[in-house]
Amino acid sequence: AQSTQSNRSELTPLSRQTVPELSLQSLLDMGFTDLQAEQISDSVSKLRGTSAARHALSTLTALFVLGLNPSSVLKLLEKCPDLYTFKESMLQQRVGNLRKLGLGEGSLQRVVAYCPDILTVPVKTIKHVVVFLREKCLFTVQQVTDILRESPAVVLENRSQLEYKFQYVYFRMGVKQAEMVKSKLFRFPLDEVRCRHCFLERRGLYETPDKKGQTLIINPKLESVLNVDEDTFLSDVAMASTEEYEVFKRLMARECLEEERQVDAESDD
Amino acid sequence: EKWAATRVKYPPSILALRHFDSTYSIQLGKLWPSVRVALLSERKYGALLNNFAHHAVLTDLDAQGCCRDFIGDAYTQIQPCLEKESEVVAEEESISVSTKKSDSDSQQPSPLQLSLNIKCLVFPRGDITKFKPARPDTKRLLSHYLMDAASVLPCLALNVRGGHNVLDLCAAPGGKALALLQTHSIGFLCVNDNSASRTTRLRKVLQSYIPKELLTDEKIRITSFDGTQWGQIERNTFDRVLVDVPCTTDRHSLMEDDNNIFSKNRTGERRRLPEVQTELLLAGILAACRGGEILYSTCTLSQIQNMSVVEQAIYLAKENHGIQLQVVDLRALTQMFRKTFDFAPDLPLGEMVIPHLAANFGPIYMCKLRRIT
Ligand SMILES: C[S@@+](CC[C@H](N)C(=O)[O-])C[C@H]1O[C@@H](n2cnc3c(N)ncnc32)[C@H](O)[C@@H]1O
Repeated sequence: AQSTQSNRSELTPLSRQTVPELSLQSLLDMGFTDLQAEQISDSVSKLRGTSAARHALSTLTALFVLGLNPSSVLKLLEKCPDLYTFKESMLQQRVGNLRKLGLGEGSLQRVVAYCPDILTVPVKTIKHVVVFLREKCLFTVQQVTDILRESPAVVLENRSQLEYKFQYVYFRMGVKQAEMVKSKLFRFPLDEVRCRHCFLERRGLYETPDKKGQTLIINPKLESVLNVDEDTFLSDVAMASTEEYEVFKRLMARECLEEERQVDAESDD
Repeated sequence: EKWAATRVKYPPSILALRHFDSTYSIQLGKLWPSVRVALLSERKYGALLNNFAHHAVLTDLDAQGCCRDFIGDAYTQIQPCLEKESEVVAEEESISVSTKKSDSDSQQPSPLQLSLNIKCLVFPRGDITKFKPARPDTKRLLSHYLMDAASVLPCLALNVRGGHNVLDLCAAPGGKALALLQTHSIGFLCVNDNSASRTTRLRKVLQSYIPKELLTDEKIRITSFDGTQWGQIERNTFDRVLVDVPCTTDRHSLMEDDNNIFSKNRTGERRRLPEVQTELLLAGILAACRGGEILYSTCTLSQIQNMSVVEQAIYLAKENHGIQLQVVDLRALTQMFRKTFDFAPDLPLGEMVIPHLAANFGPIYMCKLRRIT
């Protein structure tokens, strides 16, 4: 409520000067091109408060220490500018935690570049997610590492959503942990998982295994259901037309909405 | 344990699904998965317009989007060839159409006549919008009746006109009777259903849609006889007979466990269906006059309840009653409405609307017979 957009841009040169550490020259020295350096000082100066500017340098350093190159550092900061505002010690702690969870140098880099938001999540929250995956879902330590590596966004997901997704795939689809990891399940939103599964199920191509894990038909592997683009899914797995699936997606969305409404209505009284 | 605990072992809907999986996968082959997913997903409705009601239903429903009267639309589309080839003869109350496949088939099917004045709105292919519930007009008549749009086809195909004497042998809850009444061409209508409770419902439906002055004893008769015994009551009487038999109601059986014909305690009743259906159709045939037309319809995909019943009834009519019947070709009808419905390809006898996600109507089987003797 203090300043409007235009006011702030007028202030830009001023605020730049208050952060001598983050001079254009120092950015160039780090390996950024002229253009990249401009972009960085621009976005830093747009962040309110001086702490951003103060922490920007340590953030950049921390990211370089991870072994990321200037252009990926820039890209990831664009995705998640909040990172500029973090204290170095905090970033270090979070990175350290991820290392402890089994993410080696190569994967750590990839994970941070792909999902920089993971560094915005407190160590405690990540611990909760890990405990949840280990104790509630019975994934092994290695599997949890694999999940964090392949689907880091899992730590950002709403807990009950996550639990529901796991239960859905485990009980309703009869898929075991190893296959969930292999199929990169946690990359996909619940709605998409459910939609593809229900489509197959209603076409008679997927069956929930009985108590002994048996089915009358051979279910397709979760990997071939999720890890393919929609056209391939339709032509190779569902053997259906795009028209059918388009309508089905809309019907499912409505079904789910109506179910939720019903649940809400029931819990109201 | 959420998922496992709440599941009853074999609810009737699951038994129905198993049964259909084993029979329809053979009967429909590659089409079955598409039909299956459609049956298990939300169906589409049609809004049968009540042309006895007074307020502007059309504009009311139109406001909802792009629903259209699929019957009127189809007529307009065949209009051009109507003039050119003069194969289609528009009469006062009916319209006749013929398939215009010129050379392929040597035996040109005779032009098919369809009832006019029936209007039924549907949302286009792929559109899943739902209709609003009907509202009463100033005289308390309801504006429209929501039903499977494919259920209107048997009524169209029956081709009621010129003050016909019409029998609706299994009429409750009354959707098709309502559609037939929209033609304004019925002289006398007999609506029958052996279930007393369902007849009560039928009466209520008629009262909510048809003005009192048209529900007099001279115009309409509502009864609850066992339709199979109709031959004992009234033979060689009706110009048109609709035989819309009880069946496995495939969609209902898959979606609702209440009142499901696949429940264990109804196995006998289910097994007897083809027999009862044949008796009902035969009774309908006997009730028709010479030259009269009979329309057999079901809402199942089952060959045994559809074609086999018709074949058996034709045979019994001949053997036991010396009645000669002709099967009326309905290909012109399927041609005309193929934009709105998916029809089963190459049925040897009768026509069938099969459900498809984008046009989720049916199943409706229909076969039309004409009494020669
Ligand atoms: C498919 S429903 C008819 C639907 C109706 N024609 C409509 O469009 O609303 C079949 C009806 O047949 C009736 N029915 C069953 N057995 C019968 C019989 N033996 N005689 C007459 N009606 C019978 C049932 O009560 C049921 O209402």
